[in-house]
Amino acid sequence: MFSIHCPYCKEPRDQNEFSPAGEAFIARPENPEALSDEQWADYVFYRTNIKGDHWEQWVHTSGCRKYFLVKRSTISHEVLEVATLDEIDGEEVS
Amino acid sequence: MRLEKHTNSLIDFSQPLSFVFNNKAYKGFKGDTLASALIANDVLYYARSFKYGRKRGIIGAGVEEPNALVSLEIGGRYTPNVKATEIMLYDGLSAVSASNPHSIDFRAMIKPLHRFMPAGFYYKTFIKQKIWSIVEDRLRSLSGFSKAPSEVDEDVYDHIFQHAEVLVIGGGVAGMSAALEILSGSKIARVILVDERENLGGEITNEFTTDKDATLWYQETKDKLQKYRDAENSRLKILTSATAYAWYDHNYIEVLQSNGTGQSMNHEGGQHARKILHKIRTKEVILATGAHERPMLFETNDLANIMLGQSVRRYLNEFNVVAGKDIVLYGNNDSIYRTAIDLSKHNINSKVIDVRVSGNESEAVLEAKNSGIEVFQGFAVLKAKGKSRVTGVEISQVEMQAKPPHWKSKWRITGDTKTLNCDLLATSGGFNPVVHLDCHCGGKTFFDEKSQSFLAQKERKNRQVCGAVNSVGFWKDAMADAKNKAQITLHSLGEENEVSPQKLTRQSHNYFNVDKFFTPIEILNKPKVFIDLQNDVTTLDVALSIREGYRSIEHIKRYTAMGFGTDQGKTGNINGIAVAAEFLDLPMSEVGTTTFRPAYTGVDFGAMAGREVGDFFDPQRFTTIHDSHVNSGAKFEVVGQWYRPWYYPKNGEDIHQAVIRECRAVRGSLGMMDASTLGKIDIQGKDAREFLSRVYTNAWMKLAPGSCRYGLMCNEKGMIIDDGVSTCINDNHFIMTTTTGGAASVYSTLEMWLQTEWSHLDVHLSSVTDQFSTVAVVGPNARKLMKKLCLDVDFESKNFKFMQWRPGTVCGVKARIMRISFSGELAYEINIEANYGRFVWDEVAREGKQWNITPYGTESMHVLRAEKGFIIVGQDTDGSMTPMDVNMNWILAKNKPFSYIGRRSFSISALNSNNRLQLVGLLTKDDQVVLPEGAHIISNKGKSIGYVTSSYYSPSLGRSIALAQLKGGLSKISETVLVKIVQEKQSLKEIPCEVSSSVFYDVNGEKVDGND
Repeated sequence: MFSIHCPYCKEPRDQNEFSPAGEAFIARPENPEALSDEQWADYVFYRTNIKGDHWEQWVHTSGCRKYFLVKRSTISHEVLEVATLDEIDGEEVS
Repeated sequence: MRLEKHTNSLIDFSQPLSFVFNNKAYKGFKGDTLASALIANDVLYYARSFKYGRKRGIIGAGVEEPNALVSLEIGGRYTPNVKATEIMLYDGLSAVSASNPHSIDFRAMIKPLHRFMPAGFYYKTFIKQKIWSIVEDRLRSLSGFSKAPSEVDEDVYDHIFQHAEVLVIGGGVAGMSAALEILSGSKIARVILVDERENLGGEITNEFTTDKDATLWYQETKDKLQKYRDAENSRLKILTSATAYAWYDHNYIEVLQSNGTGQSMNHEGGQHARKILHKIRTKEVILATGAHERPMLFETNDLANIMLGQSVRRYLNEFNVVAGKDIVLYGNNDSIYRTAIDLSKHNINSKVIDVRVSGNESEAVLEAKNSGIEVFQGFAVLKAKGKSRVTGVEISQVEMQAKPPHWKSKWRITGDTKTLNCDLLATSGGFNPVVHLDCHCGGKTFFDEKSQSFLAQKERKNRQVCGAVNSVGFWKDAMADAKNKAQITLHSLGEENEVSPQKLTRQSHNYFNVDKFFTPIEILNKPKVFIDLQNDVTTLDVALSIREGYRSIEHIKRYTAMGFGTDQGKTGNINGIAVAAEFLDLPMSEVGTTTFRPAYTGVDFGAMAGREVGDFFDPQRFTTIHDSHVNSGAKFEVVGQWYRPWYYPKNGEDIHQAVIRECRAVRGSLGMMDASTLGKIDIQGKDAREFLSRVYTNAWMKLAPGSCRYGLMCNEKGMIIDDGVSTCINDNHFIMTTTTGGAASVYSTLEMWLQTEWSHLDVHLSSVTDQFSTVAVVGPNARKLMKKLCLDVDFESKNFKFMQWRPGTVCGVKARIMRISFSGELAYEINIEANYGRFVWDEVAREGKQWNITPYGTESMHVLRAEKGFIIVGQDTDGSMTPMDVNMNWILAKNKPFSYIGRRSFSISALNSNNRLQLVGLLTKDDQVVLPEGAHIISNKGKSIGYVTSSYYSPSLGRSIALAQLKGGLSKISETVLVKIVQEKQSLKEIPCEVSSSVFYDVNGEKVDGND
């Protein structure tokens, strides 16, 4: 069970207070209708599933209910960084 | 047999205890385990083996024991498959063997056939036979395990969350030293020391007979630790009888602790937990888990009274018992000499057989020889003699080959065979460091040639290994090793401690310096050389699996079932890997180990559940009206933790009769329902409208204050996830209702969009499900009743239309009255502040009497809505249905400027195929047959082309109705399809049905205005 430092509550809490909410920095396309089926499917279904350091979203479900960002190693599960959504610019990171 | 002289043992001879094993009464003492007490009473057989039904004795003294499994106690205290070596004796204990060694056993009777029953025999023989299911049942009942408990556990179990800077796992010499070093060398506030035994000390008791220093050190160190533990603002917790069985991510470690005896305890004022599950989060871990001895391999090595060398030594020193008088010790390292020396101090004669040839005599070898112990160096045991118990050994000289062919065993049998008599054979093939825990969470092992074992990976973050698990055998070395590791740990915690590395002597005890421990290949090819005693796996089974093409140790394990038992191969696996290496002609390092997974030892289900059993199994949610439903005799069903009235039986009605009565009341006059459990989300902010437009498929921009609208919510894949009615309170304020079960996930999804994508929208959400009670008044006479209950609202149909709401005062309580309907009838939902729920409900019931107002539950609600073809998300849809699939294209807005959630997916070709499952009605040709929900609709080729999602008997129509998902269903209206159902005795029947519209009742919606 992970121990995750909530950037809003500002303390480490057990994983069972949180829910994972998928890969981070997947922006909803501004004009979905302009996309091809492939481009739309890429947004809806395809994820990088990387082996290594992975930015992902978590939500503090049984706490402050805030969504935030976690950089986690998918190899060791080590949490390398946490941040609020405002603190990190997805484009810069990826 | 119990020995006379017992100066150093941990047994308290002043406290005799009585117990019963296999229906015979015995005596033991406080400090005994069940195993030591039985050895004291000369009990020899504990079990029948798993496959061949061979009688088995005890081999170990602790957690590694594969044979002596017992069922402890009976009734509500019954515990299956406990190791006799791990049960601390208490007065009145009662246990039976998990498999009775004294019964007449079918498996033992077919002994001559055993050689035709190698690994995979039963499976290969029976799997293609029709009788497999019968055979399987029989075989399972024959297995050497306890029956599952049949009664409710009487005991209670607790969970405790613990936090530590340092967790020391293992309370032997290394663990005790490490903990003491941490405490004395720093101000670290939270140290936890865990050990699986009742007393700290581990194997140190083994040194008591010969080493005064050890006794002294143990007493001193124990006293110091206890002082730390008992101090005010204690920095140390000591958990004994506690096994760290799992290591999960981020240094989260679970420890299962038995209360002192493992016995249930009733105290005045309450029951104490029989076991406690400690959930420990720690910064640093010091592993001092020790090592398990592995047995030597030879023919019929499974006879009773063939034990592990260190176990014999521990029984002798710690419990003052020994299982024989005429003892042979056989091994490849110095530990057998130590055991022989200890035995000689108790005037018990023994002979030592050492596969190592003479020369390079260590201290232990010399001491044994000087004590007059007969020593055979360069000899191997070929076979244990005896029928069910060992009576002697056949030994022969072995020779080490100068240049062994590749990795093959160095040893070769030379010379003649001779026989030695004995009644106890103790063997030691070296030691396997207990690296299990370290591997649970990513640690790797490496093969160490010197000790011929797998060691924990050298460096790991926030973890140190010391003592025997680090292949440091001699106790003074273990102490030094522990101190060094404790200092590194302190450093890692940022302590500025002085580091003074201790030197290890590595002298005297060459436990971890064994020659390639392997047995001559001639022996490995004999039958009945057992590797895994619990699962009856022999060397020939491993050879067979390799002949059949399995190469990976993981496959060999699964083919032979090696290491699958409750002991998880603690004694057998490394031998198995060595045997596989031999037959595969590979070095052990290349064969590798199987994967170590939690749990290290068995964990009681009761301990996992803790207090979350019975009423505390799941949270229970009740509406404020609940007591009134109970008074009305309602039956309840659980919907997303809510206890909802299911139906209200009267005068002994069954559900069917009650539902008919309730439905008729609603359609004919007046019904009432508690709708408080529907999820309610309060949405405020100037962009509330925009927000609703984005998350619902239909239009919301023009919904006037005072109106309500039904909405359908999809995900980005275009699949329906929820539906409900939202109410416009004013331009900046809406209240959304969700399905009862979907409330939490919808709320979370809405928050996700707001926080991650649309943070610029001015919208705020609050869950208000619990803040409001909702009483639905439903039926053609609803308006009449509402006029009576609420005087400040104009209920005339033209002024208060369907899908509108009005603020008002109901029975003196401020209310929001919504005119919405889930039944097709005229209906009002009265929303009041939750605590008025019960009051308003009772008033409505009282005032409604003149129209025979009838409370109805979820079952009638389902029937009424199905008659109207209203879907229930999650019942008629399953996460793969689009709005088009349920024939609701009308709810998809065409001209919203924002591309609402899911919209883009609707144009994907796969979602527009005509052959998708689509929602239709089904009318059985025989109108009294009610289809079972879940039944499949089949094509004329017998393939499934859909299934029934809702099915009821409709009292209003006097016939059965069903909703179903049917491939291309919307273009099959009025065709006939077959639904396959299972009747009694499993016979199948095909029911012809007509495909129909999903709206069965009041097709034109004329009922919604009621009758005035």
